[in-house]
Amino acid sequence: MSKIKVVQYINQFFAQIGGEEKADIKPEIRDGIVGPGMAFNAAFGDQAEIVATVICGDSYFNENLDEAKKTVIEMVKSKNPDMFIAGPAFNAGRYGVACGTIADAVKKELGIPVLTGMYKENPGADMFKNSIYIVETKNSAAGMRDAVAKMAPLAIKLAKGEKIGASAEEGYMPNGIRKNFFEKERGSKRAVDMLIKKLSGKEFVTEFPMPDFDRVAPNPAVKDISKATIALVTSGGIVPKGNPDHIESSSASKYGKYDIEGVMDLTAETFETAHGGYDPVYANQDADRVLPVDVLREFEKAGKIGKLHRYYYATVGNGTAVKNAKAFAEEYAKELKDAGINAVILTST
Amino acid sequence: MKLELGYINIKDIQFSNESKVENGTLFVNKDAIKALVLEDANIKSVDVDIARPGESVRITPVKDVIEPRVKVSGGGGMFPGVISKVDTVGSGRTHVLRGAAVVTTGKIVGFQEGIIDMTGEGAKYSPFSQTFNLVVVCQPIDGLKQHEHEHAVRMAGLKTAVYLGELAKALTPDEIETFETYSIRESVEKYPDLPKIGYIAMLQSQGLLHDTYVYGVDAKRTLTTLINPTEIMDGAIISGNCVSACDKNTTYHHLNNPVVHDLFARHGKDLIFAGMIITNENVYLADKERSSNWTAKLAEYLGLDGAIISQEGFGNPDTDLIMNCRKVEEKGIKTVIITDEYAGRDGSSQSLADAHVSANAVVTGGNANELITLPKLDKVIGDIGPVDKIAGGFDKNMNPDGSIQVELQAITGATNEMGFNCLSAR
Amino acid sequence: MEQSERRFFVSRFFIAFFRIGGKNCMGMMIVTNNERVKEKFEGEYKVNFYDVSLREILIIVRDLIHKGHKLYTHPLSGSVKPGETVFKSIIVSDAPGKFSEESLSIIENSIITCDKFGIKFPDLPDNIKADFQCIDLTLISSALGADNI
Repeated sequence: MSKIKVVQYINQFFAQIGGEEKADIKPEIRDGIVGPGMAFNAAFGDQAEIVATVICGDSYFNENLDEAKKTVIEMVKSKNPDMFIAGPAFNAGRYGVACGTIADAVKKELGIPVLTGMYKENPGADMFKNSIYIVETKNSAAGMRDAVAKMAPLAIKLAKGEKIGASAEEGYMPNGIRKNFFEKERGSKRAVDMLIKKLSGKEFVTEFPMPDFDRVAPNPAVKDISKATIALVTSGGIVPKGNPDHIESSSASKYGKYDIEGVMDLTAETFETAHGGYDPVYANQDADRVLPVDVLREFEKAGKIGKLHRYYYATVGNGTAVKNAKAFAEEYAKELKDAGINAVILTST
Repeated sequence: MKLELGYINIKDIQFSNESKVENGTLFVNKDAIKALVLEDANIKSVDVDIARPGESVRITPVKDVIEPRVKVSGGGGMFPGVISKVDTVGSGRTHVLRGAAVVTTGKIVGFQEGIIDMTGEGAKYSPFSQTFNLVVVCQPIDGLKQHEHEHAVRMAGLKTAVYLGELAKALTPDEIETFETYSIRESVEKYPDLPKIGYIAMLQSQGLLHDTYVYGVDAKRTLTTLINPTEIMDGAIISGNCVSACDKNTTYHHLNNPVVHDLFARHGKDLIFAGMIITNENVYLADKERSSNWTAKLAEYLGLDGAIISQEGFGNPDTDLIMNCRKVEEKGIKTVIITDEYAGRDGSSQSLADAHVSANAVVTGGNANELITLPKLDKVIGDIGPVDKIAGGFDKNMNPDGSIQVELQAITGATNEMGFNCLSAR
Repeated sequence: MEQSERRFFVSRFFIAFFRIGGKNCMGMMIVTNNERVKEKFEGEYKVNFYDVSLREILIIVRDLIHKGHKLYTHPLSGSVKPGETVFKSIIVSDAPGKFSEESLSIIENSIITCDKFGIKFPDLPDNIKADFQCIDLTLISSALGADNI
């Protein structure tokens, strides 16, 4: 049986080209192993071997994502491998993000199994652990032996298409898919052990992490709404006619900031919806139905509110990554605060 | 309270003219069991069979599993308030036919469930593939109502277990284990530096086929209370719960509560086993509030530093579990909760029906939705009705070779939430 | 109705009422798709019967909670899973009041849980249907304290 062909991706440091000063090097490919590849080959034994190594500077990769991805994928493809390994990146943030990004891209574009490894706090971990297998490593290169010991067997399993067990068994980061496996000890004993650790302040690992709660305490009510400046923010996708910023109808990667100074009413000629998640007919006829500019102008006139802010922010909340939504909001929340806004009306669909 | 458990190890089970235990073999007079069970006019006919570990035998649908035990000394009798009088149990000496079990089957409702496979893939998931089982298959009289049927089968199982247990009364045990509970004051005086740990056991209590009895009292009607952990070793808590095979606590589980055993094992070493609280899992929301408030109140009253909380069942008990956890943590008492999961067949769904940030220390008995394939076995004991009517079984789940695909849900005791098994998930 | 029957019903009503507790003097309403529950309780309680699926009962209850009704029993009663059983009875307050976030959280989580389970038995034979009806009836009866059999 022929050996499994593996291509490995590493950065400028592990390729022993240089440190931070060489982080801008462009991707290159070399036959055979470089640096940590030696340990991997040793661990693979006669089952697999690294046939080529792709090296890329962390800065270059992160600052030229599209270009770098394209180039590296071409390089990997040229070797026709059965398996792709990136890193391990330990706690190096940009390296971890690069590893996760490229492994995910290789998986999607080339359809071969991929694996990477990094420390649990590496930003790349949270970003990619649910889409690709990421082995949990120690937080520095001193943990290389440990990382290889976990990554090599898992890589072989993935390459062979074997059934992958639970995260605790195989050494990868929990990825949201629950898998059963048999522990050595029964649950009641594990419970007592866990409680003793918890009581003595020692670190313990829960067997089931509770879902993420991101609760925000509401602010106190606006004191005098008749004097307040109100801003409108929407995820209902209301944009100027023609969608000048090309906000996507789903999985929006951007938001728009639009000037409604002097606009009293949104009409079918001037505004439309970019949102792909609801029937657009009524919003296109009268976008006020989703972004109530007309009503707020009336309130302004009647002195019920102080004033409607001249800018509104819009994106499309259809399948938008939580991460993106958070990132957009951080930006315009700052702008709104700097502009002295007292309250925001958020409309969604 | 001090209780000695005298274990008589059972290594085989046989039918014979005379019921007795000899050299580790349990001999059973089939007719005597039948006569005993038929004392109940509600039972039309009964069959008794044997299933040994490793045999190609499937038992289904399983209602309850009970371990044969007998009080030798110390007051009261097994299963107080149900079989024996209500006298307090939990002290003196009790003999246990360790390795034997009485398994009751009976289709109380059409979808009655519970599979015990004595060999093959399924055997890995049920603790009762390792026990020498006396299976009691009851047929009710025609037209018997479901709750009367459940009662009849429950009593038949307990009576059989008591009958078999009696055989151990005069025997010399192979091993004796002693359990002693002390007052909190005594424990703290003796071990001033050790943390006080309590065990909070949640009992299923929602209605027909979902009930648990404490000294014969329906747990649904009880207020959260204290119980001495040795009392449960004498059958103070018995199961009337027979839906959701994987995570219901059979009477066997109550008798052999693993949390109780593991806490006793560590008492005086790295913890003080301060006490046991039992609470229920009613459907009515105000009852849940009342019970969980009471649980937290008692935990605080006992001065606990930490508590292990175990649950029983799926769905609304998750709400009780989280309420208990949250309220106990709010008292400054650290908790570990034991549960199981319904994360969907692919393992990607939300595992629990409720959640809270304070439940940060969880032990899981595994994902009950995971599919496994059970091989075709030579013999089926019980009701041979279609396995696809079992919760966890599903339409058209039989393969051409006779093997069947079921969710782990269908296997008796598979994802037990007292932490009885080694199965877990990540 | 005979006098003895009437007395029985009245006493049952009071038993159920007192069981619920003084504070919850707000009346109760049973939302159900189970004919047997309708038959048993329509004299004593307001019963809203809908011949719909289990999930639809959860949606109806959710909509009531949006309007301010309070949840009195947990929608995931019983260990028979949604998707296996088709019957569900849930008790809510019969009139809307202050919005209850807790009720909303419970019903939403129940719907999420329900969606995890596919329909296991598309062609339920009548006798098994009757058994599921019976379970649902006893669960709701025990919640009402009316299960003294």
